[in-house]
Amino acid sequence: MGKGGGLITNEIRALRFHQGEMTQRELADRVGVTRQTVNAIEGNKYSPSLEVAYRIARVFDVPLEKVFQYGEE
Amino acid sequence: MGYSFQEKSLWLMAVGLVGWFGFYFGTVLPTETANVMPHQMALFVLAIVMLVIMQIVGHIVLAIVDRRSETDERDRLIELKGTRNAAHVLATGVLLALSAALMTDGNFVFTHVLLGAWVLAQLVQIGSQLFLYRRGA
Repeated sequence: MGKGGGLITNEIRALRFHQGEMTQRELADRVGVTRQTVNAIEGNKYSPSLEVAYRIARVFDVPLEKVFQYGEE
Repeated sequence: MGYSFQEKSLWLMAVGLVGWFGFYFGTVLPTETANVMPHQMALFVLAIVMLVIMQIVGHIVLAIVDRRSETDERDRLIELKGTRNAAHVLATGVLLALSAALMTDGNFVFTHVLLGAWVLAQLVQIGSQLFLYRRGA
């Protein structure tokens, strides 16, 4: 948990698109966080806790590594 | 990106603090006495009471307008970072107040350095949180 330093990227925007253009609000409600937090995660400004990361992956029904990627320095 | 309930709540607190304690300090400091006088204490109580009333009324209005006041892990992280920054300011203020108590007669300077440090610490906490909300976290 903490500020994303740019190393962790995600595919949430694309996954939302493939789920019928799911809104940030809908994802936030299903994960149990605020819409602002989803926006911050999607923009790589905030790295969520492992628990929230798994909940996001569960909403999209994909493995965690399909949602988040840890890039090399 | 619009303002969340938490950000609006922080702005409300910041405006209240600056307004009421600006009024208090602006009124009391020019009339410095050796000890805190009863009318100065009354003004302090008035500032606190008005601040509390403003917060209650403001948050009722915010809750009606916004309807989404839930918090999550990011809000808690931002609050913790703000509290950490405020703690540094408050600790410095306490040391300054103790120094003032040793160097000046009466309790006026000590009390107001301490109160000023508390207000400043609150503003640093709020400012830190607002900055972190705008940055993302």
